[in-house]
Amino acid sequence: MAADTHPSTTGAGGGAAALRRLLLDNGALTALIVLVIAMSALSGDFLTTDNLLNVGVQAAVTAILAFGVTFVIVSAGIDLSVGSVAALSATVLAWSATQHGVPVVLALVLAVATGIGAGLVNGFLIAYGKLPPFIATLAMLSVGRGLSLVISEGSPIAFPDSVSHLGDTLGGWLPVPVLVMIVMGLIAAFVLGRTYIGRSMYAIGGNEEAARLSGLRVKRQKLAIYALSGVFAAAAGIVLASRLSSAQPQAADGYELDAIAAVVIGGASLAGGTGKASGTLVGALILAVLRNGLNLLSVSAFWQQVVIGVVIALAVLLDTLRRKAGATPVTAGAGGGKGRQAATYGLAAVVTVAVVGATSFLHGGNSPSANPRIGLALSTLNNPFFVQIQSGAKAEAKKLGVDLTVTDAQNDASQQANQLQNFTSSGYDSIIVNPVDSDAAGNSVKAADKAKIPVIAVDRGVNKATVDALVASDNVAGGELAAKTVAEKLGGAGRIVILQGQAGTSAARERAEGFAMGLKAYPGIKVVAQQPADFDRTKGLDVMSNLLQAHPDVQGVIAANDEMALGAIKALGAKAGKSVQVVGFDGTPDGLKAVEQGTLYASVAQQPSQLGKIAVDNALKALRGEKVEETVKVPVKVVTEANVAGFNG
Amino acid sequence: MSNADELLRIEGIRKTFPGVVALDSVDFDLRRGEVHVLLGENGAGKSTLIKMLSGAYRPDAGRILAGGEEVRIHGAQDSERLGIATIYQEFNLVPDLTVAENIFLGRQPRRFGVIDRKRMEADAAVLLERVGVNVSPRARVRELGIARLQMVEIAKALSLDARVLIMDEPTAVLTSEEVDKLFAIVRRLREDGVGIVFITHHLEEIAALGDRVTVIRDGRSVGQVPASTPQDELVRLMVGRSIEQQYPRERAEAGAALLSVEGLTRDGVFHEVSFEVRAGEVVGIAGLVGAGRTEVVRAVFGADPYDRGTVRVSGAPLPRHDVNAAMAAGIGLVPEDRKGQGLVLDQSVEENLGLVTMRAATRGGLVDLKGQRAAAARMAGQLGVRMAGLGQQVRTLSGGNQQKVVIGKWLLADTKVLILDEPTRGIDVGAKVEIYQLVNELTAAGAAVLMISSDLPEVLGMSDRVLVMAQGRIAGELPAEQATQDAVMALAVSAPATPRTTPTTTEVEAGRGR
Repeated sequence: MAADTHPSTTGAGGGAAALRRLLLDNGALTALIVLVIAMSALSGDFLTTDNLLNVGVQAAVTAILAFGVTFVIVSAGIDLSVGSVAALSATVLAWSATQHGVPVVLALVLAVATGIGAGLVNGFLIAYGKLPPFIATLAMLSVGRGLSLVISEGSPIAFPDSVSHLGDTLGGWLPVPVLVMIVMGLIAAFVLGRTYIGRSMYAIGGNEEAARLSGLRVKRQKLAIYALSGVFAAAAGIVLASRLSSAQPQAADGYELDAIAAVVIGGASLAGGTGKASGTLVGALILAVLRNGLNLLSVSAFWQQVVIGVVIALAVLLDTLRRKAGATPVTAGAGGGKGRQAATYGLAAVVTVAVVGATSFLHGGNSPSANPRIGLALSTLNNPFFVQIQSGAKAEAKKLGVDLTVTDAQNDASQQANQLQNFTSSGYDSIIVNPVDSDAAGNSVKAADKAKIPVIAVDRGVNKATVDALVASDNVAGGELAAKTVAEKLGGAGRIVILQGQAGTSAARERAEGFAMGLKAYPGIKVVAQQPADFDRTKGLDVMSNLLQAHPDVQGVIAANDEMALGAIKALGAKAGKSVQVVGFDGTPDGLKAVEQGTLYASVAQQPSQLGKIAVDNALKALRGEKVEETVKVPVKVVTEANVAGFNG
Repeated sequence: MSNADELLRIEGIRKTFPGVVALDSVDFDLRRGEVHVLLGENGAGKSTLIKMLSGAYRPDAGRILAGGEEVRIHGAQDSERLGIATIYQEFNLVPDLTVAENIFLGRQPRRFGVIDRKRMEADAAVLLERVGVNVSPRARVRELGIARLQMVEIAKALSLDARVLIMDEPTAVLTSEEVDKLFAIVRRLREDGVGIVFITHHLEEIAALGDRVTVIRDGRSVGQVPASTPQDELVRLMVGRSIEQQYPRERAEAGAALLSVEGLTRDGVFHEVSFEVRAGEVVGIAGLVGAGRTEVVRAVFGADPYDRGTVRVSGAPLPRHDVNAAMAAGIGLVPEDRKGQGLVLDQSVEENLGLVTMRAATRGGLVDLKGQRAAAARMAGQLGVRMAGLGQQVRTLSGGNQQKVVIGKWLLADTKVLILDEPTRGIDVGAKVEIYQLVNELTAAGAAVLMISSDLPEVLGMSDRVLVMAQGRIAGELPAEQATQDAVMALAVSAPATPRTTPTTTEVEAGRGR
C-alpha cells in the first residue's frame, strides 16, 4: 500500500516508537542496517563518504531497472527483458549519435522510444496475445539482446560525450547516477502511490477479474505498465553506458534477475498486489552493499556468489517471518506475539552473526600490514586461462610479500567498473586490470590515475586512459600463427571453419583479425563458415555439431580459444586429429593434454601464469616509482605434439 | 466429568488477531454418534473454532480435551492422529489426480516402492460404496461436479478412520436432492458412532439432521440448545435480537423502463432472452443451477460477449462486450463469486470501495486520494460496514461486510441498474436483512435492481416480478402475487421450446428452496 496511508504517530516518545515500527514493518530495511553495521565493523574502508557514494553508484543501474520491474511485479506480472532492453536502448543511442550523426537529443528520444517500444511489444503479447508474462518477456530478452548485437555488429560503440556526463560527478563529488536513481525512485513512488495507473497496478495485481468487472481497462493498463518498465530499462541502460562511456551489446546481462531480487527483497510478492518503490530501493542497496563490502574484504570471488545467494534468501526469509509475526495479536498483548517477535529478532541476530562470521572467516589473513596492497581485477574466472593468470599472480605476490586481492567481474564491464572503483576508493597501492572491455574500463582507470594509483593492464589493453604498462601476448600475431599452422598442415589447400569468441570482446576481435590476416597468404584455404561460440566449450560442441551437418567435408578448424576447440573435438569424435585438424588458442592445461593425445593438432599458447607473474612484478615496480616499460610482450608459441612435453604455461 | 461417549471437549478457548478478539471463552463438546450443529452469524468465530481443531490455528488460552485427556493440536498431523477430519467449503483436492489418488494422497498403498494402483482403487471403491456415491475411482477429480467432490472428501475422511468429522457449510453449494443424499450419509456415519460437527446457515437443516446446537455470537458461545428449538428462538440467540421480518420488501412506484434486453442470444448458452426492468422495480431471476442466469447478466453487463440481440439502458443501445460502456450507462454488477470477482482481497476497504470511481476521480493521471477516502468513509458509514478502520484488508472482513463493500462501490458510482448475482450467498440472517434494506433504499431512489438467487424464498420475498429461466431460455414470468415455490419450480424444470436431450452432467439440480 501507499506509504502515505500510514497514520502519523503522535505523543511523547513517538519518535522512538515510530522508528521501531518502521523497522518492524520493513524487514528489508532492518536487513540493510544490519549489513551496513556488519560491514563497517569488518572493514575500515567501508563507512567513508566516498565509499558510500560508490555503493550508491553501484546500486543505481539495478535500482532503476528494479523500479520498472516493481510496476510489473505489483501488477502480478514479471519482466525478464529489462537487462536486454537496457543494452538495446543504450546501443541505439550510441549507434545513432556516434555512427550516424543523429543529434544527441534526438538520439536520447530514440533510446527511450526503444524502451517504450520493447515494453509495448511485451504488453501487447501479454494483454492481447494472452502469452504468460514469463514467456513473452523471455522472448524479448533474447530479441533485445540479439538486436543490440546486430545494431552494434558485436562491438562496443563509443557513447556521445554529452550524454556520458550522466556517469560523472557533480561538483566533483556527487555522482550523477545516484541523482538519477533518486529521481527515478521518486517518480516510481509517485506513480505507484498517486496516479491512476499506479493504483490500477495494485488492483490488477490483487485481483485482475475484480478489477476488470469494476471498469478498469485491464488490457490497456497492462500495455502501459510494460511500457513504463521499458522506459525505466532505457534509463538504466543510458546510465550504465554513460558510466562506461561505451554502449556495450553485452551490457546488463543477467541484470533482470538482480532487479527481480531487489524487488522481492524489498517486500513485494511475486503473486502481485504488494510492493513499494522504497522497498525496491532498499533491496537494490542491499545487493550493492554486499558486493561492495565483499570486494573490500577481499572475499574470494567464488565465495562472494555463495554469500550473495545466502543473503538474498535470508533477507526474504526475515521479511516473511516478520509478516507472520505481524499477523498475531497486537492489541491484546498476548504472550504468543512477543514470542514470535523474539523469534524474528533472534533470526536477525543469527543472520548478523552468520554474515559477520562468514565474511571474517572468508577474508581471513587480511589484517592490516605494512605489505603493499595490489588489486587484481579479472574479467572472469570461468575460464582456465584467467584462473592461470590468477595463480601466476598469486604465487608471485606471495613470493614478493604483496597482499593481492582478486576480483571476478563475470565478464560484466559495469561490475568490473564497480570493482575498480572499490580498489581506488579504498586506496590500494596499485591495480592490475584485465579489462572485460578495453573501452569500458577507460573511465575507471582514469579515476585511478587521478588518485595517483599505478595501473597495469594485463592481457587486454585499456583505451582512452593511460596505464603504466600493458602486459600481454599479442592476439593478432597469435591469430596469424594459428592460421598459418592449420594452413600448412593442410598443405595450403582445404576447407576450414572458424569458431569465433564472444562477440564484443577485444580478444575475439583481435584473434579474428589475426586469422584473417594469416589466411590471406593461403588462397587455397577456403573458410566455409565462421560462427561465434562465445569462448565456451559447450557452445563449441553445439556450434560445431551444427556446422558439421552443413559441411560434413570440413578438413580444418580454427578456434579462438582452447575451450571451443575442445568442444569442437567432441563434436568431431574420431575424426579429430585424423581427417580434421583442429587448432586452438591459449594453451590451457586441458588444451595441452589434448595436444598430447593428438586430438588437438596445435594450440597457440600464451603463457597465462607468466602474464600474471609479470603483471605483479610490474605493479610492484610501478608503485615503488621504478621505471616500467609501456608494453611487456609475453611471447606466444605454437605448441604441437612435438614440443608439448617441454611446455608449461 | 469424564464421559465414555465424549469425543471432544473445548473449554474457555480464546483467540485474538490484530485488532480483533475472534473467540473468547468458548465452550463446546462432542459425543459419539451425534450431529452437533455450530450456529452463528458470519464472523461470529465458527471458522476460527474449527481451524483450531484442525491445527491451522493455536488457541491463546483455554484447553482442548480429546477422550478426556488434554491435547495440543499444532498441525494437520496432530489432528489426523486424533482422528479429526475437516471438510472445508473449499475442497482440498488435486484436480488432475484420480479419485482414488486423492483419497489416499500421501498414503498410497505401495508395493516394492511402486504405487499399487489395483489395491488403491479397490480400497477406494469400498469407501465410495460406503458413502453411497456412484463414481469410478479412476475418474479424474476435475471432471466431477461439486456434490461428488464433497462425497470424495467424505470418503477421504473415512479412509483416515476419522472419529470426529467437521463439515463447514457442506450444503451451501448443493441442490436439495444432493442435500438429501448428504443427509443420508451423515445419518449413516452417526449410526457408526462418528461425532459430527456441522456448520450451516439453514435453520431448517438443524431440525432435520441435528441433535444439539451450540450458538456462537461475537466470538462467545451464548448457549447450547436441543436441535428441536424453534427457529425464531435460534435466530434470536444467533443475532442477539429477534428479526421481525425476514424479507422486508417495500415496493416502490415502478417508473419507466431502465434496462431492456431483447432477443439476447449466445449460441449454446442462452437463447432469445428478452425482459425489461423498470425504475423502482426489483426483478428476480430464478432457475436451476446451470440454467444460464449468470451468463445472461454477465453478457448484459458486457463482461462476456453475446451473438445476437440488443441491450438498452434508458432507450440507448449498449455496444456488446464492453464493461466500460455498461458502467457509463449506469449498470453495476455484484458478481456471484464475491472473493474471486468482486473484491481485491488484500487491499483495504477504502481501496475496494473506490475501485469503480477511481477513474472518475482522476485528473491528469492523478487520483484524488483525499476525495476517494472521504467518499469511502461516507459509504462505509452509510452501509454500516463493521471494520477496524478504512485501512483494514477486506480479506479479514466477514462475508456480509465484504458484500456490503462490493455493493458500496457501485452505490458510490451512482448506479441506476444494479445487478445482484446471488447477493446473500453465505451471508448470515442479520446481514441479509441489511442487504435487503439496501435494495429497498435503491429502488425508493428510482434505481432498478435485477437479482439472481438460488434461494427461492428470497427471490419470492424480495422481487416485484420473477423471471424463471430453464436451459438458457426464459421459461416464464410471474408477478409477485402469483409467484409461489411450486409455480416457480414448475417453470424451472419445464422443457424448453426446442426439443433437446436432458443435460447429461447431473440429473436434476433442483433449486435451494426448502
